[in-house]
Amino acid sequence: MSLFSHLPSTLRTSYAADSRLLDTAFVRFWAVTGLGVALALPLILTNFWTGVANQTLIAIVGALALNLLMGTTGQISLGHAGFIAAGAFTAAALVTHLHAPFIVTLPAAALIGAVLGVLVGLPALRLKGLYLAVSTLAAHFVIIVGLGQYQAAISYGSGFSIGPPSLAGLEISSELRWYYLLLLVVLLVLLMNLNWLRTAFGRAWMAIHHKDVAAEALGINVHVYKLLAFSASTSLTCFAGALWAWHTGFVSVEAFDFHMLIQYLAMVIIGGLGSVLGTILGAIFAMVLPHVITAAVEKTPMLKGLGTQVFELQIGLFGVIMLLFLILEPRGLAGIWMRVRAYFQLWPFKYRAWES
Amino acid sequence: MSLLLIIAIQAAFYTLLGLGYVLIYRATRVLNLAHGDVMVFGAFIFFQGLVTSGGSVVVAALAALTGAALLGGLIYASIMRPLAGYPVAVGVLATIALGITLRSATTVIWSGQTRYPAEHVGRLGGGFELTPGVSVSGVDALIILAAVAAILGISLFLQRAAVGVGMRGVAENVLLAAQRGINIHAINAVSWAAAAMMATIAGIFFSLKVRLGPDIWYVGLAGFAPALIGGMDSVRGVALGALIVAAAEVLASRYIAPQVSLVAPFLVLLVALWLRPWGIFGSREELERV
Repeated sequence: MSLFSHLPSTLRTSYAADSRLLDTAFVRFWAVTGLGVALALPLILTNFWTGVANQTLIAIVGALALNLLMGTTGQISLGHAGFIAAGAFTAAALVTHLHAPFIVTLPAAALIGAVLGVLVGLPALRLKGLYLAVSTLAAHFVIIVGLGQYQAAISYGSGFSIGPPSLAGLEISSELRWYYLLLLVVLLVLLMNLNWLRTAFGRAWMAIHHKDVAAEALGINVHVYKLLAFSASTSLTCFAGALWAWHTGFVSVEAFDFHMLIQYLAMVIIGGLGSVLGTILGAIFAMVLPHVITAAVEKTPMLKGLGTQVFELQIGLFGVIMLLFLILEPRGLAGIWMRVRAYFQLWPFKYRAWES
Repeated sequence: MSLLLIIAIQAAFYTLLGLGYVLIYRATRVLNLAHGDVMVFGAFIFFQGLVTSGGSVVVAALAALTGAALLGGLIYASIMRPLAGYPVAVGVLATIALGITLRSATTVIWSGQTRYPAEHVGRLGGGFELTPGVSVSGVDALIILAAVAAILGISLFLQRAAVGVGMRGVAENVLLAAQRGINIHAINAVSWAAAAMMATIAGIFFSLKVRLGPDIWYVGLAGFAPALIGGMDSVRGVALGALIVAAAEVLASRYIAPQVSLVAPFLVLLVALWLRPWGIFGSREELERV
């Protein structure tokens, strides 16, 4: 299960070849190019856009976690913003009460997330589809209101400030330092994600996605693997939430509203549910587009009169794009990329003789 | 006594909302998370009607109901029909996307300002004194009447009217219904239109009683809790579900803390999903289990 293995590519003749991470020259070329661009990006970006890139990197971690649950295992979750809030509040609470350092809060948030994931995943053992969606949505509201009560009690409702973190004596205060730290984190998370997908966990999750009854018949313990999927996904989500808290420097429950949930759903839907590459593309798309729209409006004198309406139009545009992808291209950006690639691969022919 | 009255009014409001969820679920097996935004949209048409017609409630309500019916039909034709046959999750995600689109459109058209349509209406029948010391306002009395009328009306419609029988057929087995010559797309469009009208009625009442603004979509969203508790495919279940949710909400607000009442519907829902996921009157086959 490589980064691009859902794409039509060469036929594989052994299991080892099938599970190789970078299996063809094409994939190797693009992986190296992508890494090079990512490393060089801050050189051409202003401080503001480096900040946007940092938010995008954090969003990639969160979106990969959501994709693990919704795309790979096929369990719909509408509690994602609540889980991110749980991670951010774990970091904030540890700093406020125990003055915990940066390096401690991240694993702590992941641990809290793993436990939370089991709790939220328990209904998934009995419920499917729509009923599961509703129970996770209810969990979202319960978490948000609970954290709001906590915030009101501890900080008199204003929220928590946490200072710039320091790692091995180095204070991560500038966006540039954040960028390289987050890039490293994203690469590690990506590697972990891909390793999950190409080992027994991922195979079991995909089997459950395709048909849980068939998965059970194959000897997969559906209950255990469903809970594992929830636990792994929520753990990673809370980890992203803690990163978010440190990077933003301020944690308040208002940030984790329905809108954040929709943003993450947009990432995985626009990217293409189930595709790792698509999730990354979707996260970049969903995080950068609002800033591009704002910049475009500022540059265009005709649209300047819109003022505060711009934010509303952005949200509406997200809704429309999500709808268009759901109706017209359910495989998302990954699906478009796949078709473009197939076109060049097969040229001058149009159809291949085998199914990928 | 007044506590019971508050619960009854809240339950009636939830009944109006929940019926919309049930109508849509019976037709297209979708949980419409855009219901709250449809409610706000309809209520804003009502408000616009009031302003334009100079305070005529009848004209404004007719305009709002017509607009809502058209919106409901349009949503079905443009979004839900192309998505027929996809997994339930896709339908739910589509309604979320639709919801934010509608909310954004509402805010752009009417601005995010909070309005009070009651100011344009004048006195709505005044109040009635039930027993000494306990009185009910005109709007509250209308909410209860509307909820009772809606439950009875929809039940009767499903029993007797040809379209209603078609709706029952679609709810029971959509493939068989289509084979027996029922125009399922027309039936589904009618269901969506009717649900949008129910949402609008609830929205009109809420905006007259409390306020109107794009942020009240949250109130409409909470309506799925009574529908699920009663059973997503059961019309009479909604009333009981609404009563349970309203009681939990009002009692939590009175005896625990006002903030708790915000999550009370969802807490009750979590318990209900744990105990009886298919709802009190819902059909058990609806729930596929491993």
